[in-house]
Amino acid sequence: MSHFLDRLTHFTLPKEAFADGHGKTTGEDRTWEDAYRSRWAHDKIVRSTHGVNCTGSCSWKIYVKGGIVTWETQQTDYPRTRADLPNHEPRGCARGASYSWYLYSANRLKYPLVRGRLLERWRKALAIAKSPVDAWASIVEDPAARRDYQQLRGMGGFVRSSWDEVNQLIAAANVYTIKTHGPDRVVGFSPIPAMSMVSYAAGSRYLSLIGGVCMSFYDWYCDLPPASPQVWGEQTDVPESADWYNSNYIIAWGSNVPQTRTPDAHFFTEVRYKGAKTVAVTPDYSEVAKLADLWLHPKQGTDAAIAMAMGHVAMKEFYFNRRSAYFDDYARRYTDLPLLLRLKETTLADGKTVLAPDRYLRASDFADTLGQPNNPEWKTVAFDTAGQVALPNGSIGFRWGPEGRADAGKWNLEAKDARDSADAKLKLSVLEVGPQPHEVVEVAFPYFAGADTPHFPSNKRDGDLNRAKVPAVRLKLADGDALVATVFDLQAAQYGIDRGLGSGAKDYNDDYPYTPAWQEKITGVPRDQVITVARQFADNADKTQGRSMIIIGAAMNHWYHADMNYRGVINLLMLCGCVGQTGGGWAHYVGQEKLRPQTGWTALAFALDWIRPPRQMNSTSFFYAHSDQWRYEKLGVQEVLSPLADRSKFGGSLIDYNVRAERMGWLPSAPQLKTNPLQVVKDAAAAGMDPKDYTVRALKDGKLELSCEDPDAPQNWPRNLFVWRSNLLGSSGKGHEYFCRHLLGTENGIQGKDLGQDEARPTEVRWHDKAPEGKLDLVVTLDFRMSTTCLYSDIVLPTASWYEKNDLNTSDMHPFIHPLSAAVDPVWQSRSDWEIYKGFARVFSEVCKGHLGVEKEVVLTPLMHDTPAELAQPFDVKEWKKGECDLVPGKTAPAIAVVERDYPAVYERFTSLGPLMNKLGNGGKGIGWNTETEVRQLGDLNGVDGAGRPRIVSDIDACEVILQLAPETNGHVAVKAWEALSKATGREHAHLALHREDEKIRYRDVQAQPRKIISSPTWSGLESEKVSYNAGYTNVHELIPWRTITGRQQFYQDHPWMIGFGEGFSSYRPPVDLKTTAGIQNIKPNGNPEIVLNFITPHQKWGIHSTYSDNLIMLTLNRGGPVIWLSEEDARKAGIEDNDWVELFNINGAIAARAVVSQRVNPGMTLMYHAQEKIINTPGSEITGVRGGIHNSVTRIVTKPTHMIGGYAQLSYGFNYYGTIGTNRDEFVVVRKMKTVDWLDTPRDDHLAKAYQAQGENP
Amino acid sequence: MSNRKLAHTLRALAWLLRYPDAEARAALPALVGALRAEAALPAPRLDELDLLATRLAALPPMRVEADYVDLFDRSRQTSLHLFEHVHGDSRDRGPAMIDLAQTYERAGLRLAEGELPDYLPVVLEFASTQPPDAARAFLAETAHIVRAIFSALLKRNSGYASVLAGVLDLAGERAEPVVLAEEPPLDETWEEPAPFEGCSTAGQSKPGQPQPIHIVPPATAQARHVV
Repeated sequence: MSHFLDRLTHFTLPKEAFADGHGKTTGEDRTWEDAYRSRWAHDKIVRSTHGVNCTGSCSWKIYVKGGIVTWETQQTDYPRTRADLPNHEPRGCARGASYSWYLYSANRLKYPLVRGRLLERWRKALAIAKSPVDAWASIVEDPAARRDYQQLRGMGGFVRSSWDEVNQLIAAANVYTIKTHGPDRVVGFSPIPAMSMVSYAAGSRYLSLIGGVCMSFYDWYCDLPPASPQVWGEQTDVPESADWYNSNYIIAWGSNVPQTRTPDAHFFTEVRYKGAKTVAVTPDYSEVAKLADLWLHPKQGTDAAIAMAMGHVAMKEFYFNRRSAYFDDYARRYTDLPLLLRLKETTLADGKTVLAPDRYLRASDFADTLGQPNNPEWKTVAFDTAGQVALPNGSIGFRWGPEGRADAGKWNLEAKDARDSADAKLKLSVLEVGPQPHEVVEVAFPYFAGADTPHFPSNKRDGDLNRAKVPAVRLKLADGDALVATVFDLQAAQYGIDRGLGSGAKDYNDDYPYTPAWQEKITGVPRDQVITVARQFADNADKTQGRSMIIIGAAMNHWYHADMNYRGVINLLMLCGCVGQTGGGWAHYVGQEKLRPQTGWTALAFALDWIRPPRQMNSTSFFYAHSDQWRYEKLGVQEVLSPLADRSKFGGSLIDYNVRAERMGWLPSAPQLKTNPLQVVKDAAAAGMDPKDYTVRALKDGKLELSCEDPDAPQNWPRNLFVWRSNLLGSSGKGHEYFCRHLLGTENGIQGKDLGQDEARPTEVRWHDKAPEGKLDLVVTLDFRMSTTCLYSDIVLPTASWYEKNDLNTSDMHPFIHPLSAAVDPVWQSRSDWEIYKGFARVFSEVCKGHLGVEKEVVLTPLMHDTPAELAQPFDVKEWKKGECDLVPGKTAPAIAVVERDYPAVYERFTSLGPLMNKLGNGGKGIGWNTETEVRQLGDLNGVDGAGRPRIVSDIDACEVILQLAPETNGHVAVKAWEALSKATGREHAHLALHREDEKIRYRDVQAQPRKIISSPTWSGLESEKVSYNAGYTNVHELIPWRTITGRQQFYQDHPWMIGFGEGFSSYRPPVDLKTTAGIQNIKPNGNPEIVLNFITPHQKWGIHSTYSDNLIMLTLNRGGPVIWLSEEDARKAGIEDNDWVELFNINGAIAARAVVSQRVNPGMTLMYHAQEKIINTPGSEITGVRGGIHNSVTRIVTKPTHMIGGYAQLSYGFNYYGTIGTNRDEFVVVRKMKTVDWLDTPRDDHLAKAYQAQGENP
Repeated sequence: MSNRKLAHTLRALAWLLRYPDAEARAALPALVGALRAEAALPAPRLDELDLLATRLAALPPMRVEADYVDLFDRSRQTSLHLFEHVHGDSRDRGPAMIDLAQTYERAGLRLAEGELPDYLPVVLEFASTQPPDAARAFLAETAHIVRAIFSALLKRNSGYASVLAGVLDLAGERAEPVVLAEEPPLDETWEEPAPFEGCSTAGQSKPGQPQPIHIVPPATAQARHVV
């Protein structure tokens, strides 16, 4: 009998067990699952993301059922990466995953709200006034009426209004302000366009059309590293997170990768599996410290000392002990190390003279200007290996000039002499092969580390100078003989490297600036750790051609001397040839800075299609002046000057420098002129003059005055403030209490006094004995939650959140462009930002009739980076106001433009693409192209209005404008843009985009799947199938110059103010003494000990970036309410136990919070996570007697003159590119346990309040 | 349960909870009249409501409106969105709202734009469309939440408490203040939850605990379970 018939051929029995018995199949009833199935069923899934500056830009699936958002999950359909790279997924963190629960929360703003006291007055005034504008005038021209609602800011009393009513009120206020004071008294603040660029553009387009001012954010947030423009002429161009995977050695320096870059952290982890080493540098035991192989923990604020010591090790071992061929070649071609500096005889205070590094040698220094008729003052010089003077291609003088000039097409980094286009290898050192006559001279560098700064250890050396021997060459120049030296020779000397010339450190154990032993005294980090990390970092870069990377976070940038931290780190990267190389370089991640389709967006956002130039302002200087923080300035200029500086040239106080900078056109102004700019044009007409000429003459003869010279005069106050997508007065309002007093005119907790009679007062600014309180007539905030800023606003408008509007979102961290999509209609009465501003525009166009028609006005613009104006004053700083030079607009003063605004047509203009795109074209970062084709195609796509202009009615229309015009999302434009760049560089670049020329990314495309952007010359990295995005890549590989004076990455900064403030070369500078605790410690005792700690405000875990920490889940996970962290040691000293209520205070204000006592915090500092809201569990302060403040209550802005430099190649103004920054980490606070916790629950106007309070409100 | 008509009373109560803008204030006399006419509420309650209406009409309008915003728009405890009290910011809130909206749809009513299904005036208006018995039963299901809001309002000495008390009357519940699960000591609230027990946010159940309540009329609820 054959057994095979016993077996079935076509059937098997159900397998009961599988997976080696771990799994089992059963046939039991599973209908109970249907309950879950129906629960998780949905009508549709919509792609959106969270526009919250967390840099995530993660793709999310939003599930909608019955018109209600039920939950969200991570999308997992990112385009695949190439074979040697992990995929981007998973993206999206636990915080994002809980957002849908916020959408319907009680925290949501539901209706337009107006403070009752104002609305009552408005309705009354409107009933009797001739027009809404007259109604507004009757309120704000009555000082008592104005103060009446101003002083209630921050104290509730909101009532609901309607959109029609608020639109009318706001339009009336705007029209009145423009007519009475000037359009530049209407200002708007919104940050980080990349997180929802159409929402940003909505407000900025409205403001730009009416002549209002868009305020910068990046510098104000202090996330803007001025070191980036200083070194590269570019702001925050950084590798995408996938490029971490291409690295072999990563230092995470002050960047808490797993906590603040959660969706990207997987690349950091994955790269370790292929052998990369990771090092964390953070003062506290942070999450990244746990993740890394090695943790260095310097004293907070001393990072530059470590960076300098690492630079010392890398240079010593890879340039002198042996010469790395890779580093050597990189340094010669891509850095300023071979360039020549003049050495200048400098007289010290004691009358002795020393030689000190001065400015770059220029072609114009030679009698024959090296044969350069075009911009010889802006062309830097080197020696070639034969010891002859060489004029390398690529310095900024080659970038600008008339069409058809002889030196056109030489703005590139080819290793050639521009005079004959012959190959030229530049000499790093005058001592190297091809010896040439030289002498060894002693050069002095400023040395700041010996200064006694409270709370920070110093390393005293021989006074405040650091002297070293340098080989120098004597050259015959037009103005006589001069000594010159290469940046390389000077840099090696400054690092303290002993080259046998008679100076330098004997070895690493020699306590000599800037050795590993030297830094130990300052930072507390053992020298062997520094040596090990520096050696390994450099060795890896040498072996892999630059695959060593430093991920850096805002923590490092919030110090007054942030530039030293950053330049110290960047020096190391440049020495090791890491910048512009895959897997290497400077990865500065602080927020969602990268607006990838930038040049498509600027046209929409600043209404460049209708009127140019727009008004833009640097916020730090603006708020420093207008919240009157300058009146309390305790940091003297002399305290931050170089010991080598000529003190007679650097008098005055910090605000004086800002005024000078504004007058010279270095920094922008807002408001600009004390006279209404509409009036200026009328006055010019009356004088029978061209408005420009009139303005010049009137400025010179004093008839016109710049507003910056008298910020407290009522004519110069900002009057209307719009805030949207931001918590300006809360999470980012440094000097919060000063905002409250002077800008808002309400209750505040300032403890200090202004400079008053006794202290040195500014010389360039008019002093008013009584500072104004309440400069702003109207504060309007758009938000979806009741943030601290909303509390202080007069009008609060509910906006659509991230699942209720259509928008675009891009990030530094990945190359994809993401949509925000309206999964559901905006809840309650909220509207998208686009619709809200469109509504303002519509009503403005009606309300203005009879008050404003077609008007002309003058607009002042600073000397902008990436324009020919950046070549303003090549040598000395000359001021027209002091008679040192003539007032030449666009050269020695701001550029002056006369623009025409058609006020009744604001709405029409808002909703269509204007004619200037056809007439003037589009562009950015110094290149321009014709864009008529795109305008026509946009008309085909969006439809056209009566005048044949493309319509921009809906938010999706606005998205299409951006996508159509930008090279990053339109291949044709990309090719055009690269071709435009070729004109300047003389090299062919279009091959970088040709393969994607026919690609056009539309809004619906990105809704279908995230799309990778197209490579464009706006950015210095490439999107390709071969490399990940890495900044500086096209500089190195396409030989496109950096946009600096030298065209190269710069170790040296040669502007007179950079030298004057001691930052020619980078060094270590201790934090500045802000003198905020002495005047208050132990002055108002409550019986508990008071200790002084450094106040640090890093980013939190329990919030989506700075938003959303008021959600119950986040609050529960984070103890709820405001908390501060401090070390066990400090807690013991102050008698504080975990969870005690403590108060943090100084002369700026006070905070009430709970203490978290933890071993992870260094003694000497306290951490308060950024952006905890005042609305949550904040009791009264014992010091101020009013409700405890927020983390910004104890801060005050302190500006730095070097950040005000302008009109000087890379040191020129650009919106969110360069400018003063709102530093806050040098701040100290007194910490003590609270005695009584008072919740201040009794209503103010309650007639029983006194009686309640007498008995203790919370017994 | 009484079979007395209560549709007008329910709608009047819903109106009383509306934002007290000019329109709502103008309607006050009519509302009081309707409440009196239908007399579905006990007399003392009607007197209280009279008093509330009188105060709303007499006080300066801006004060009345600002108080309303403070009370109902800016506070969790007195939120008129019922699920705020049951589900808070938890993930159960969305599905619960969908259930409720479907309940309305099954009754042939489509929720207009501008409000969420769990807004108390919406709930009251829906109940007013139901036969009295069904309406009372429906309201009874929400009674524990209404009572919580009632107690919170009472604690704040708000006259609006009477409106909530009226709802409780109709639901056949006694309008007695309950000790609110309010303001537990801060330390306790802020205590970190024990690990691996699930999120402890209000409304978010830990493993092993019953699911939060969904408001679904009994008939429908049964139908669901039959599946």
